[in-house]
Amino acid sequence: MGEFFTSAVLVSTVASGLRLSTSYLFAAVGETFGQRSGVLNLGVDGIMLLGAFGAYYTVLNGGGLWLGMVVAITVGLVMGLAMAFTSVTLQAEQGISGIGFYLFGLGLSDLLFQKLVGTPLPIRGFPELRIPFLADLPVVGEMLFSHSIVVYAAFLLVPVAAFVLNRTTLGLKIRSVGENPEAADTLGVSVAGVRYLTVMTGSALAGLGGAALATELGIFQQNLTAGQGFIAVALVYFGAWRPVGVMAGSLLYGLVASVVLQLKTLGIIPRSASELAAMLPAVLTILALVVAVQRERQPAALTKPYERGA
Amino acid sequence: MAETLPGTGGRGHGLDLAMRGIVKRFPGVLANDHVDFDVRRGEIHTLLGENGAGKSTLMKILYGLYRPDAGEIRIDGEPVQIDSPRRAIELGIGMIHQHFMLVPTLTVAENVALGLASPKGPLLDLAPVARRIEELSEAYGLRVDPGAMVWQLSVGEQQRVEIIKALYRDAELLALDEPTAVLTPQEVEDLFVTLRAMAAEGHSLIFISHKLHEVLDISDRITVLRNGRLVGTVSSADATKAGLARMMVGREVVLEQVRAPVEVGPPRLEIFDVRARGDRGTEAVRGVSLQVRAGEILAIAGVSGNGQRELAEVVAGLREATGGRVLIDGSDVTGADPGQRRALGLAYIPEERMRDGAIGQFTVAENLMLHDFDRPPFARHGFLDFAEIERHCRRLVADFDVKTPSLDTTMKSLSGGNIQKAILARELSANPKVLVASQPTRGVDIGATEYIHRRLLDQRARGTATLLISEDLDEILALADRIAVMYEGEVMDVVDRADADVGRLGLLMAGVRDSGT
Amino acid sequence: MRKLIVVVAALALVAAACGGAGDEAGGGEGAAEQPFRIAVVAPSAINDLAFSQSIYDGLVAIQEEMGGPTKVELAVTDGTFVVEDAAAAIRDYAAQGYDLVIAHGSQYGTSLQEIAPDFPDVSFAWGTAGDTFGLPNVFAYEAASNQGGYVMGVMAAALSESGVVGIIGPIEVGDAKLYVDGFAAGVKAQDPTVDVTINYTGSFSDVALAAEAARAAIGAGADVLTGTAQMVVGAVGVAQEEGVLWFGTQADQTQLAPEIVVASQVYHWEVVLRDMIDLIQQGTLGGEAYVIDLANGGEEIAFNPGFDLPADVKQLGQDTIQGIIDGSIVVPAGG
Ligand SMILES: Nc1ncnc2c1ncn2[C@@H]1O[C@H](COP(=O)(O)OP(=O)(O)O)[C@@H](O)[C@H]1O
Ligand SMILES: [Mg+2]
Repeated sequence: MGEFFTSAVLVSTVASGLRLSTSYLFAAVGETFGQRSGVLNLGVDGIMLLGAFGAYYTVLNGGGLWLGMVVAITVGLVMGLAMAFTSVTLQAEQGISGIGFYLFGLGLSDLLFQKLVGTPLPIRGFPELRIPFLADLPVVGEMLFSHSIVVYAAFLLVPVAAFVLNRTTLGLKIRSVGENPEAADTLGVSVAGVRYLTVMTGSALAGLGGAALATELGIFQQNLTAGQGFIAVALVYFGAWRPVGVMAGSLLYGLVASVVLQLKTLGIIPRSASELAAMLPAVLTILALVVAVQRERQPAALTKPYERGA
Repeated sequence: MAETLPGTGGRGHGLDLAMRGIVKRFPGVLANDHVDFDVRRGEIHTLLGENGAGKSTLMKILYGLYRPDAGEIRIDGEPVQIDSPRRAIELGIGMIHQHFMLVPTLTVAENVALGLASPKGPLLDLAPVARRIEELSEAYGLRVDPGAMVWQLSVGEQQRVEIIKALYRDAELLALDEPTAVLTPQEVEDLFVTLRAMAAEGHSLIFISHKLHEVLDISDRITVLRNGRLVGTVSSADATKAGLARMMVGREVVLEQVRAPVEVGPPRLEIFDVRARGDRGTEAVRGVSLQVRAGEILAIAGVSGNGQRELAEVVAGLREATGGRVLIDGSDVTGADPGQRRALGLAYIPEERMRDGAIGQFTVAENLMLHDFDRPPFARHGFLDFAEIERHCRRLVADFDVKTPSLDTTMKSLSGGNIQKAILARELSANPKVLVASQPTRGVDIGATEYIHRRLLDQRARGTATLLISEDLDEILALADRIAVMYEGEVMDVVDRADADVGRLGLLMAGVRDSGT
Repeated sequence: MRKLIVVVAALALVAAACGGAGDEAGGGEGAAEQPFRIAVVAPSAINDLAFSQSIYDGLVAIQEEMGGPTKVELAVTDGTFVVEDAAAAIRDYAAQGYDLVIAHGSQYGTSLQEIAPDFPDVSFAWGTAGDTFGLPNVFAYEAASNQGGYVMGVMAAALSESGVVGIIGPIEVGDAKLYVDGFAAGVKAQDPTVDVTINYTGSFSDVALAAEAARAAIGAGADVLTGTAQMVVGAVGVAQEEGVLWFGTQADQTQLAPEIVVASQVYHWEVVLRDMIDLIQQGTLGGEAYVIDLANGGEEIAFNPGFDLPADVKQLGQDTIQGIIDGSIVVPAGG
């Protein structure tokens, strides 16, 4: 066990946890916006896959990483528009239509990959960006300040999202629409407008999360996300619909996963227990957050379509 | 975008509203049938009508929540199109909806600021909002803390927030849809003070209620709707309770039932030193002892929240007594479940009728049979006798005047009065020995109220011992033989109807024991 | 409510069209005699440079060998990592009267056991597995992946300067376990002082986790890595980035990272497929359990021609192969 507590191992474990958290953090923060306004988007994973493929394909064809990100965001926005149309305008049952979007994204990303790419050739992701001075600090420098830009972006998104939700007039509208859309409507707030905005923003961030995954790994593959989008949705619940809580959940999940990997690599977790250990991130995150957010309640209008006068 | 901060500049106070020939159809209902309605500057104009008469619909049209199928709205003589609440707000119209439009998880200031532009652009700036709320509170006697979370507020406070929301948006015409339904008598008085002050400033006010004494008290003019149609508009000075009731119901209404003397029998319900905790765990009932005899109505008066509801629930078996004993017809039922009490002859009309008294998604017939479906003659050897059940339900619906399209209509689609009549039908059909009736006519229109009162008195004549819990003193004075006043979980005093007057009851309700001084 | 159903149905249709339906890769036209019809259902993409690609490449080779699409018709449903989807596809192909339906995934066994008896005239093959369930119309096939793993493990030990070799696996079962154990045994046989870190990530599909497992191994000092199953593409990327060596398996992974892939164990399923087809054409629809290995040519070590492998190490590898073939080296079958 002593081996684990060397600073080198700790540094690489934490750094690995941060990297693992990145892609679902994007998606989970995005989903937070939608859910705070009352829309549950279960299609996140499908949107991540499409974003991941869009970015991968763009980079593979020489479009560059930044264009890849733009493509992923655009793909996310288009999917978000479709999702918002289904759940806000057509008022479809959100759980079911979300699964439809997931299957669509899963199938379409794979189809496009097969037809357009075929063999999974590697791409080069964003280079490591060492933050001046900070990256030179002992221990924490390596841990926190020598990552690629997408990792920083994901974590910077958290205070930004918290600020938007809590300190802006738009945030007030979002929170109101998710709690009591009728009240917001009677004050002249466009419930549908706010929900389109949050769902599309959330989907754009899901697309970006997918792009982060594909570029960090430098590869695309069928079902690349392996269900990360669903983890993201769960993290929103367990993070009590607050960006900081969602980040805490994402970090916990990522860190537990990386600790488990590290302990397995060092042979501290015996191989016979390795499948059990693989479930640990999910189990621990759920336990920790269930305890932490016991008293929080979900936005009252979550999953409920709004129709004036109904 | 609405104003940054509410100004006093720009518009003057008040506006003249004219609604002409308004028609609104819902599937199967003509909710407004060529309704004309107008309000002048500085006037308090009441819209009166039974439940379902179309009052709220007319108001929602005014506020841009519904589009009328026909008709015209003019403000200060100019025709206007009100296609959204936003447009209504711009025109200076404010509305206090029958169900509050507040976001419980936000603060008062956030609720007020919602949808308004901020002086800091996209950033929220609640400090000036809070200041302005305090100014408005001061000016109109609307005490409320801008920083409080709305879910922590009492109903009366929430209503004040609603009024502040409208005033903050420079509402010149304020419509209040049944604002007093949820208020205590004292809160109603406070509200009326505010409304009069607003009218005196020139605001135009629309007030909706079916409590006739309130309507006569506050209004300048009264417009009556019935079944979506305009019955007429009268000046308050010329109106009488009986006259208004006749306009509302379309027939003569007996506002005060005759309480024929009834010979009282032995005690049927006995309560000895009962104690119980409230929902928050504090002691809500603190040693109450009462006796109700056959053929007697004992009313419990009091401001809501003084333990009446908990006491009723203890008697019904829905709340555990932490001390004391309850006897029904001589049998100790303190530890018995509701079913056992029912078997001994208890019937219960709960305060929350949709929560505790009926199942909204079930049909009227199913609700009528809720307690008896598994007993002869409705079921034999485990098989339901549908013909008998149907016969029984038809009889109840006819006897109790439940207006429902069919027995298979879901309960929740009936009006409040008809739901209550259906519950009454179920509870009284077994001719109970003891009846606990909690707020039996709250939110019920006068036609149904009249009917329910008559039924309760019939039951008294048939020897039922009735424990009536009501916050409506008029109702208590009309029905009760004796009146117990509860205050902070204790019975202040029990007075005979003959010795009771509103002044004395009011003092007891406020916790003042008359000591003869 | 109707709106909802329409939307969901539409989405489901699109998704099905994208994900499920198989591609027809070939198919005879105007051929005088009926072509031999083979269908394969595989859990990942047929160009995954791993498990699913191995069977597809084998089938294409057989098709070529037997005279092209006019002689052998191929149908493929890939990406059916959901077992229920795979089962549906297997049943469909059987109902359409394919001569041989291949269920390429050990996780499909239970489904196959239910389906095969319903189609006694259709021959099924299940891999990688060693069990035919005693059914007369089921073949089983597997690879002695421990052999190739052993050979590469020997070379890995010889190449490692740090004295640490890392192995990444999905779940400790079947082909993956066999390979991992063989590789580890090879390392130890060559140099017992070399440390082997083995990390089963718990997932066949989580590429990100595999990538981090590779980083963890490198952090623990590994300078030679290997891994098995389709999620290792993430690990290969990390190896490339960190400049450590990689040994591949199930397919030639050279093109994933040309600079650092030393060699890959490649499966030639055509060796056993050929035999199966012969048997089927003679009227025997199953009952045989095949193993490909170095001796029967079903396994091959494909060296990366672009990698500058020291001659002595390459010789060591070739000697080991020879030793296994002639029986002088016995590879433990795992445990
Ligand atoms: N959104 C609606 N859909 C269908 N019917 C409605 C709707 N709103 C009101 N109604 C019907 O219109 C009639 C008038 O209702 P309402 O205006 O709420 O009456 P009031 O406020 O006078 O009690 C009632 O029969 C009611 O059931
Ligand atoms: Mg109403």
